[in-house]
Amino acid sequence: MNKPIVELKNVYKKFNDTTILNNINLKLEAGQFYTLLGPSGSGKTTILRTIAGFNDVTSGEVLFQGKKINSIPPHQRNMNTVFQNYALFPNMNVYENVAFGLRIHKVPEAEIKQRVQEVLHLVQLDNYGDREISELSGGQQQRVAIARAVINQPKVLLLDEPLSALDAKLRKDMQYQLRSLQQRLGITFLFVTHDQEEALAMSDVIFVMNDGKILQQGSPVDIYDEPINHFVAHFIGESNIIPGKMISDFHVEFLGHTFECSDAGIPANESVEVVIRPEDLVIVPVDQGKIKVKVSTQLFRGDYYEIIAFDQQDNEWLIHSTKPTIDDSIIGLTFEPDDMHIMRYNEDEHNFNQRLESYEE
Amino acid sequence: MSKSKFSWGNLYLIFTFLLMYAPIVFLIVYSFSTGDSMTNYHGFTFKHYQELLADKRMIAIFLNTILIALLSSVFATIIGAAGAIGISNQKRQKNKEILLSFNNILIVSPDVIMGASFLIFFTALKLPLGFWSVLLSHIAFEIPIVVLMLLPHLNELSDSLLTAAKDLGSSSYQTFSKIVLPFIQPGLIAGFFMAITYSLDDFAVTFFVTGNGFSTLSVEIYSRARQGISLEINALAGIMFIFSLILVIIYYFIENNHSQSNKKVKARLRGKL
Amino acid sequence: MKKEFKFLYFAPYLLWLLLFVIAPVALIFYYSFFNVNHQFTLNNYITFFTSGTYLTMTANSVWFAFLITAMTLLISYPMAYFITKLKYRNLWILLVILPTWINLLLKAYAFIGLFSHNGLVNQIFNFFGIPAQQLLFTNTSFILVAAYIQIPFMVLPIYNSLLEINPSLVQASKDLGATSWQTFKKIIIPLSIPGIKSGVQIVFIPSLSLFMLSRLIGGNKIITLGTAVEEHFLTTMNWGMGSTIGVVLIISMFIVTILTHTSKKRRVAK
Repeated sequence: MNKPIVELKNVYKKFNDTTILNNINLKLEAGQFYTLLGPSGSGKTTILRTIAGFNDVTSGEVLFQGKKINSIPPHQRNMNTVFQNYALFPNMNVYENVAFGLRIHKVPEAEIKQRVQEVLHLVQLDNYGDREISELSGGQQQRVAIARAVINQPKVLLLDEPLSALDAKLRKDMQYQLRSLQQRLGITFLFVTHDQEEALAMSDVIFVMNDGKILQQGSPVDIYDEPINHFVAHFIGESNIIPGKMISDFHVEFLGHTFECSDAGIPANESVEVVIRPEDLVIVPVDQGKIKVKVSTQLFRGDYYEIIAFDQQDNEWLIHSTKPTIDDSIIGLTFEPDDMHIMRYNEDEHNFNQRLESYEE
Repeated sequence: MSKSKFSWGNLYLIFTFLLMYAPIVFLIVYSFSTGDSMTNYHGFTFKHYQELLADKRMIAIFLNTILIALLSSVFATIIGAAGAIGISNQKRQKNKEILLSFNNILIVSPDVIMGASFLIFFTALKLPLGFWSVLLSHIAFEIPIVVLMLLPHLNELSDSLLTAAKDLGSSSYQTFSKIVLPFIQPGLIAGFFMAITYSLDDFAVTFFVTGNGFSTLSVEIYSRARQGISLEINALAGIMFIFSLILVIIYYFIENNHSQSNKKVKARLRGKL
Repeated sequence: MKKEFKFLYFAPYLLWLLLFVIAPVALIFYYSFFNVNHQFTLNNYITFFTSGTYLTMTANSVWFAFLITAMTLLISYPMAYFITKLKYRNLWILLVILPTWINLLLKAYAFIGLFSHNGLVNQIFNFFGIPAQQLLFTNTSFILVAAYIQIPFMVLPIYNSLLEINPSLVQASKDLGATSWQTFKKIIIPLSIPGIKSGVQIVFIPSLSLFMLSRLIGGNKIITLGTAVEEHFLTTMNWGMGSTIGVVLIISMFIVTILTHTSKKRRVAK
């Protein structure tokens, strides 16, 4: 394992009586794209600001390349930030904004010129140097902010919800651009967002946060397929979560039936939650279905139909299907054992990972 | 982060605030001194206040000042309110801007110019200088302030609200009394108070148009101060300080919902921008 | 009928515009072309622009107004800046404004006592072993008192423009490696220029015409354009000359307004 470039150890942040960060531990390695994902108020921006140096912590250590930097002011940290509202200096044009960091570091004028041109080229704003900030579109301002932040050649780039102000189409476009930029620069990105799609699309590693805690960390696929608990399952993607009971390893009971599943290491008879993603449910004739549901409504979403149905116990089922069905009809649903994911109540990340490792090869 | 800088800032603030309030405290402290100069404190007394209250001329001037302030503010508020509504009813933006820049001329002109030009004006009209000329002048320089205080409120009053009222069948008068008036009421009160304080504070304009035989407190203080120190003025300062403090408190009490803590300077600012 | 009512309520205001705004300014211009004997003449302007007295006076006025403005700015900027850092800044800014509610003359009068030969300031000087100075009726005291009176009018616009600066700009600057001082110099000062400009405007123009202060504190030694207007109108009764000076004041007022006019374009970007 590589030496982490940024590390938080047992970090707590309290403000009056509220705990904003609750025992945060994280490691960022060089050259990876990390995302802090969580609803607003979950503490993700606080972590970013702590690493940038705008917040101090109540207790715990902030390490940069193995050195404690808790009391190092932001301007002496080798990291740069792209702010949520871009924070471009309105009293300077594009060129001066981008050159700001170099001027502060007294870089010779000729070198400034060359490097500004390079980064403006990097963000595809080659001839925009003379423009005033107010003349730029949101997406262009965004790219100036990125250019300004990377010109100092930081080891880590911190991005605070940088895409939230853009419209949907531009946001998608910027996701590709950010990802490819990160790969070209080869530096660590720490990206903060509340948009799970953004996180899934761009990240190497996602930290899912809620209430000041990191609930789960892992690759987008791991987190999507094996959420640790109800919150994560619900927050990332859409899901059907049904209460059930573990019968034995690889067998779970819900809706009065026992199903084969792919999870183990849970004591028999323990109450659990079963997650099935809507796209994993296949509509079949009633007699072939593992479960029976009654269709309530269906919406055409363009590339699929979103069907809402209810089983006998009145659990709501969300189904994504490429074919429509008939309102108020009874349909059968089937799914593979691999499509089910079992979650224990109150399992922490450490135990969760250990349990998964114990039976996955 | 660097905590030492903050304390330097606070030290500077403490120092400047002490300097800002020192002259006022100094003035009031000496109003209770038994001596007759502002050099050595001679022990506590109410003597100067008693002298002041026995000074018939001073009391008459005081009442004149209050009368001028109240009367002029009432008139200025009415005319200013009508003016503000008229300006905001202008359909063309250009007309609005022209009216507004004329409105602001008096706010930005130096006091002496206002005083001198009013003096020429009254003389040209053969209007005798005294109570009426002072009253008219005060109304004149208070009107633009009232207008500036009211315009933001009127701008908030959206066209759709007025259209809705008409749509529901209310007449012009009803729209005015049921919708416009209640809506701009805070601005009216603020404008009225601001007019009072401008009136009480004015010296230069009054000094030009007052003639002989009529005086306000500002003018009286000026002529007495030119003759040297009299602790009676200190006592007057004490009373006026309390008086303006009460005005400020009433004003902020009324305005507290609007969180515009600094209308007085803002009005002066708006005139410029 | 309706149209008439609409015009009627607006009439008093328009009348006021005509009588108390347009007419007086027009009259000042008109009178500036007449001599003491009510004869049309250009002599007032000729006198003003050829006699050393008036030109020196104008230069003096501008110089004093400049000093007062500079001094006010120097004291007020740090005040405004530090107040924005305070937790209860609304209360503190209220305390800055409170003295503006106290009559100007009373404040000036207080300084007559403070600056007198045996006054508090000289007593403090004595305490530190400095001999008593003639403080009253000097240029310095005039500038000090004028600056004292103008401070709130300078602090407020600067304070407002400082508050408008998005805190993330300051953070961005530090993030890019700027120290607090560099951030102050390169970001905070440039972005508070609109506030400085309106502050300068508000302070400079009245400072040209503070005749009561120059009489009370400057002791008739400082003759500014304001003092001259007052003298011509109320003492020597040479209204023509007084009006000419008034016209000069009005014109310089316009010049200052144009010079300190902030272009709206840049302020749009936030």
